[in-house]
Amino acid sequence: MIKHTVKILKKEWLSADIFSLEFNLPGLHPTPGQFFQVRINETFDPLLNRPISIADYEKTRVSMVIKVVGKGTELLSKKKVGEELIVYGPLGRRLKIENKNSLLIAGGIGVAPLFFLAKRLKRAWIDFTFVYGARNPSALVLKDEIEKLTSNVIFITETGGKKSGTALSVLSELNLTVYEIGYACGPKAMLKELQKLNLGFPIYAFCEDFLGCGCGLCLGCAIKYYGRYQRICEDGPVFELKGIEFDGGDI
Amino acid sequence: MVEIFDIKFKNPVFIASGVFGFGLKYKSVTRGVGAIFTKGITLKPRVGNPPPRIYETPAGIINSVGLENPGVKEFCNSILPRLKKLNNRIFVNVAGFTIDEYAQIVEEIGEGVTGFELNVSCPNVKEGGVLFGQDPKMVGKIVRMVRKRTRRPIIVKLTANFCDPLKIGKACVDAGADGLSLINTIFGMAFDIKRKKPIITGGLSGPAIKPFALYCLHRLKDLKVPLIGMGGIMTGRDAYEFLLAGASAVAVGTALLRDPYAPLQIIKELEVLLQNKSV
Ligand SMILES: Cc1cc2nc3c(=O)[nH]c(=O)nc-3n(C[C@H](O)[C@H](O)[C@H](O)COP(=O)(O)OP(=O)(O)OC[C@H]3O[C@@H](n4cnc5c(N)ncnc54)[C@H](O)[C@@H]3O)c2cc1C
Ligand SMILES: Cc1cc2nc3c(=O)[nH]c(=O)nc-3n(C[C@H](O)[C@H](O)[C@H](O)COP(=O)(O)O)c2cc1C
Ligand code: FES
Repeated sequence: MIKHTVKILKKEWLSADIFSLEFNLPGLHPTPGQFFQVRINETFDPLLNRPISIADYEKTRVSMVIKVVGKGTELLSKKKVGEELIVYGPLGRRLKIENKNSLLIAGGIGVAPLFFLAKRLKRAWIDFTFVYGARNPSALVLKDEIEKLTSNVIFITETGGKKSGTALSVLSELNLTVYEIGYACGPKAMLKELQKLNLGFPIYAFCEDFLGCGCGLCLGCAIKYYGRYQRICEDGPVFELKGIEFDGGDI
Repeated sequence: MVEIFDIKFKNPVFIASGVFGFGLKYKSVTRGVGAIFTKGITLKPRVGNPPPRIYETPAGIINSVGLENPGVKEFCNSILPRLKKLNNRIFVNVAGFTIDEYAQIVEEIGEGVTGFELNVSCPNVKEGGVLFGQDPKMVGKIVRMVRKRTRRPIIVKLTANFCDPLKIGKACVDAGADGLSLINTIFGMAFDIKRKKPIITGGLSGPAIKPFALYCLHRLKDLKVPLIGMGGIMTGRDAYEFLLAGASAVAVGTALLRDPYAPLQIIKELEVLLQNKSV
């Protein structure tokens, strides 16, 4: 059974347009990258559920970090503590966490699934560096929480004070030879540019796109990967960046 | 329980083609519905259209999946046997790119399925598809060719894109079709105003098309064959409206994208309505 009716236990605004929601769902064993399809309302506009990553799972509590970008997320942001929420999941392939020195690159709301990954890496005593870029300092969410996980962290913003730039522009400051694996989540433009940088270790991209069913049924979420269409929702959403063919269409 | 084409179905709620994989995943749903229509099967494997393949519009979605499927051979070898094990009625949705291909696919699949649904109405492929379905002569030819190859029921899935489904429906019945299903998605488009370009062109489905689908179905009610109604059915009430308009059964499509268990809920709600006819 993947359909759950849950009660919102906590809701908090983390920035002007990013909020978090928490609910209880015991017995899950989610992995970073997995997500829920969240029902927006009981009417049919918006019609489809919205995919939202698991940003944390502690004991029995799921937390999601959501950015308001359009109609669906706007309506979702109006939900209140105590209200019920219908969610389907966890969906997406399970990611196997590798014991390798890891570089995490988050752009914007891409921080959500990578925060969950960072927590899991820490739990497994795996070394990692967290690079997180956002548009402006107030859009950097989960900052304190990330700092608690590691001191190897770089925050960067496009408008920020003395030093400005993107998650990718700060990579040049790092000694990239120490990393054995990378994980990235952010806007498509960021992933595309990162692919071109050709860093010397495999990078796994957490991909986002408009999903239909979110659970492998409709074939609506195609992504060209090593020459073949795969489903983002069921074969991903995490794919090796090298294999993604961005020209095959939007991801 | 309903009886259509002299075949018993446990209920009149079916799964529409293309929105539920091959029905192997949510087995309780596949087993619970009256029948399932498979994803469109073509003679050769097809990789489908490039993304974006799906886009949401008010109370609807536009899709351009482009009949991605493994082709009839692979379907018969690895999917159909597993599907049969679920022990439910199976209609194979057949999509040809030439008139001949329909007959070839039907022959390859053989008599081991409940029946065939001829898809002459896909709006998302360059050749064949909806072009066949707009032309009564062409549709008649396809049905006659297929008729010679199978004794199983033949349902033709009609389009309402720029043509009168009644005319096409009549041609199908005259050529030997046992039933008609309607409607397939209708042409739709969404625009990106920033880039001043279309985001997607494809087939529109969901609640947005329900009134049109109901009208099309009702238009065919005097044809003397069973009609399977679909287009935006989300609730038991929607299903009931199609039955009142003349359908013998209904199929659920887009609702499954919102909730893979939707048909089970629709069956429950419909039962209540059918028992309590005074609503
Ligand atoms: C596997 C997965 C996990 C995700 N996890 C999170 C998460 O943890 N937190 C979060 O805030 N968001 C996440 N997203 C993105 C989120 O699903 C979209 O932002 C949301 O669906 C937009 O819905 P809307 O109704 O608000 O916007 P709409 O009104 O549908 O669209 C508004 C604008 O956003 C664009 N857009 C729509 N959907 C997406 C999308 N999926 N990705 C990028 N742009 C989109 C549209 O093209 C449009 O320009 C995830 C997406 C996927 C596929
Ligand atoms: C993603 C998607 C894929 C579809 N694929 C097929 C197909 O392969 N063959 C077919 O005959 N109809 C296909 N259809 C059409 C549906 O079976 C149905 O006729 C239509 O969507 C209207 O019903 P609905 O509004 O309940 O979805 C598809 C529809 C969708 C949304
Ligand atoms: S969204 Fe339906 S298959 Fe991925």
